[in-house]
Amino acid sequence: MLFQDLLFRLDRYWAGHGCVIAPPADTEVGAGTFYPTTFLRALGSAPWRVAGLAPSRRPADGRYGDNPYRFQFFYQYQVVLKPSPEGVQQLYLDSLYALGIDPKAHDIRFVEDNWESPTLGAWGLGWEVWMDGMEITQFTYFQQVGGFDCRPVSVELTYGLERLAMYLQGVDHAFDVEYAPGVTMGDLRRDFEVQHSRYNFEDSDPELQRTLFDAFEGEANRLLQLDLVYPGYEFVLKCSHAFNLLDARGVLSHTERQGYVQRVRRLAEATARAYLEARGELAPAANGEA
Amino acid sequence: MADLLFEIGTEELPSWYVQEGSAALARLLAERLAAAEVPAARLTAYATPRRLAVLAEGLPAASAVREDELRGPPAGVAFAEDGTPTRAALAFAEKNGVGVEALERRDTEKGSYLYARVRRGGEPTAALLPGLLAQVVKDLPAPRKMRWGTQETPFLRPIVWLLALLDDQALELEVAGVRSGTTSRGHRFLAPEPFAVESPARYVAQLQDAWVLADRAARREAVAEGLARVTADAGLEPYQDAELLDEVTDLVEWPFPVLGAFDDSYLELPEEVLATVMIRHQRFFPTRARDGRLAARFVGVSNNRVADEAVVRRGYEKVLDGRLYDARFFWRSDRRKSLSQHAWGLSGIAFQKELGSMADKTERVGVTAGLVLGALGLGADTASVVEKALPVFRADLATEMVYEFPELEGVMGRAYALAEGQPTEVADALLGGVRPRTYDDDVPATAAGAVLSLADRLDKLVGFFALGKRPSGSADPFGLRRDGLAVARVLASRGWKIPLDTLVGAALVAYADAAVPVDEQVQHEVVDFVWDRVAALLQERASVPVVRAAIRGSRSVIGAARRVELLRALTQREEFADLMALFKRAANLATKAEETAEVAPALFREAPEAPLHAALARARDGVHDLLAAAEAQLPAWDLRAGPPQALSGVGQASSEVVSLKGPLDAFLDGVLVMAEEPAVRRNRLALLNEVVTVLRLLGALEELEGIEQ
Repeated sequence: MLFQDLLFRLDRYWAGHGCVIAPPADTEVGAGTFYPTTFLRALGSAPWRVAGLAPSRRPADGRYGDNPYRFQFFYQYQVVLKPSPEGVQQLYLDSLYALGIDPKAHDIRFVEDNWESPTLGAWGLGWEVWMDGMEITQFTYFQQVGGFDCRPVSVELTYGLERLAMYLQGVDHAFDVEYAPGVTMGDLRRDFEVQHSRYNFEDSDPELQRTLFDAFEGEANRLLQLDLVYPGYEFVLKCSHAFNLLDARGVLSHTERQGYVQRVRRLAEATARAYLEARGELAPAANGEA
Repeated sequence: MADLLFEIGTEELPSWYVQEGSAALARLLAERLAAAEVPAARLTAYATPRRLAVLAEGLPAASAVREDELRGPPAGVAFAEDGTPTRAALAFAEKNGVGVEALERRDTEKGSYLYARVRRGGEPTAALLPGLLAQVVKDLPAPRKMRWGTQETPFLRPIVWLLALLDDQALELEVAGVRSGTTSRGHRFLAPEPFAVESPARYVAQLQDAWVLADRAARREAVAEGLARVTADAGLEPYQDAELLDEVTDLVEWPFPVLGAFDDSYLELPEEVLATVMIRHQRFFPTRARDGRLAARFVGVSNNRVADEAVVRRGYEKVLDGRLYDARFFWRSDRRKSLSQHAWGLSGIAFQKELGSMADKTERVGVTAGLVLGALGLGADTASVVEKALPVFRADLATEMVYEFPELEGVMGRAYALAEGQPTEVADALLGGVRPRTYDDDVPATAAGAVLSLADRLDKLVGFFALGKRPSGSADPFGLRRDGLAVARVLASRGWKIPLDTLVGAALVAYADAAVPVDEQVQHEVVDFVWDRVAALLQERASVPVVRAAIRGSRSVIGAARRVELLRALTQREEFADLMALFKRAANLATKAEETAEVAPALFREAPEAPLHAALARARDGVHDLLAAAEAQLPAWDLRAGPPQALSGVGQASSEVVSLKGPLDAFLDGVLVMAEEPAVRRNRLALLNEVVTVLRLLGALEELEGIEQ
């Protein structure tokens, strides 16, 4: 199955279960969880279902394209169901059927894996899903986001699409996956990966990133005070990416790193508060840390 | 009599909770049934990754009937002058569900009161249970519960179904939006349809037909058997790891062992690395060839019986290959640098904000280790090994392998040291220096390793105590109790008689130039803290007073441990309790001595004085013999367990000690210690003082006051 067919099938499957198939965000994010369609929509009481390709960036994970599994830019497939429905595990297993994987023919396991994002002030409980020993999906019931309790609880499914495709196509490197007829993932991403790996590790300008971080942080705070939640949150994401670039460059001491994490977290919490306030859903008692 | 079956079906529980949750459920249910006066005759717990269940047999049909007499208001306020009941009487009657005419008036010592006779209980068990079971689900203790959907009732993982059956009767309850029924579910893939459970007694058998081994012990046995079978078929032996066996047992509802292989070339990696990758990352069992060496085969335990096992096997092999590929990459890349080059990297790894980097720390450890070596008077051999190990001690922290597999710290230090041609003793010291990491971990195997381990732990304790970051209550975020335990165990395992305060003092010296102020107060606190850990270990062997007496009478850990063994032996003798009572009287009197004086037999005036003096000489010999025997027979052991052999052949010496009882008794009864004549009085006090001093060599015996034999 071509990589793009994988996307089509997942889109179709989850659309059939009431999900909006949303286009990816156009700001750099570390994971689908940072998307406004996940982070913000997980807050508050309104039901929500969204799915779609979620390209993500983790500068420190770059390996110049050498490692078959690790990249600084990669494709996740992100599903958020709010509230988490009954029988969501079966719903997920059925999505594997849709991809041509018969769970009955494999050893599929839900192995405890709890998730926490210090920069988002978010945590959840759930599993990593193993297929014949390989981790193919993260499965998380959000308990808190932006420091606020999630009511109702959303469930987030994050497919490791590249691994699944490697498995289905029987290839050993994500770049050997056939994306479209005659076009491999490597054709699409190799140069991008190599150059960004070099940029992240060798040629990024740490002083510029520090300056940018400070500027983005100031702007995020200013916008959030003007109740401009979405623009404000974009600057939070920019802060997060600047921090990730500094981290990848290896220029942060342990303490400094903690400091940056705290600063992003404060912004994420401020965003969550502003979002809930704008919706008239800010229940002070719901947040112990507010 | 009725049998109850209660099953909580869930989405996959964390494997560590399966056993814990099952025990907790049985305990809680037993407690609640007893409190509701419907106790079970027998409780059996069942658990798999997708269910916690209890079979409670022999429940009474109804709760026990009890008649209670409840006291109400004083008669004086219960009735108006015309004899009609007041509001107080009416309210009391109503509250207890009886008519006001049924209230009885009774005269007691405290006055006249109204009483109600109330019958309680007699409620049918079937009516009691739904509410009780629902509350049990809500109250089930668990460390980290979660919410899901729109439900507010938290549980470990979402509840999928509830099964509540009293004999053949369905019990109706609802928790977290789930209504109970009489159906259970089998294996997720092999028997996915819900099925009706015919009776509580049939539960386990029906589940077995549905590919679920609900009895955890049976499932564990099945995992072990399957493992033994597939390895034996291949001429191999399974690698024994009880923790892995437990974890795997709680990751499956029915085990299907799959034998797989990896490329022989990975065998160039140290065995610990191979085993760690297989066990920690994939939950695979390594295997050994008949010659005892690790084989290039492993066993994965699948939760599914599939049509084509090769699919699962290939999946396992591929994932493991990826992991081993990484490990070999680290192994090769790490060795491009020497350990001393890796040691430079320690300056980039934080130890603790205010205490500097790991490089700062190992520098301090070097100073402490030198002082400890000196204080212990260890030979030049050990000193030279420590000296060679120090520059690369914990350098493996800076390697990629340890970054990826933190549990291999020390193991990699040893492996890289051997690979670069360091002497075995030095390599062993690098491993020993980080041991024991946990209670289950072994103490360092060599003296040099022990010196490093002590210096490293003491540095941490002193540093964190100086920062005021000591553990409080159950909170011990920096694992300092584990470090204290390690110090205690390492010291005793070597039999080193070094006083604790000397040892802690050595670590203090290393902080002389540090930014953090350390002083005697810190030293006292750390010493006390370690003694508390020693006490915790020794309390596995003896009662609190005995342990306290041994510790307060000792300066070294091994001394305290030996005294515990001695006192265990002595307290078994009948006369010892009497001797302790006399010791206490003697000790009280002895405090009256204004100055120390030698005992002068010439000043004896009364008959019991000379015999006590003579007995004291024998007792002193006895005490010295006991201490010598303990030192000779119990040279050293790891306090995690008792000494390897019991103290023996101390009957004679103990008799000499307890034989002090008669003469001391006679002396205390027949002699006026506080005699008129100052010289005589001083002499008698001196004699008692001697008695106390001699006996106290065995420990701070005043702690034993009131001790049960």
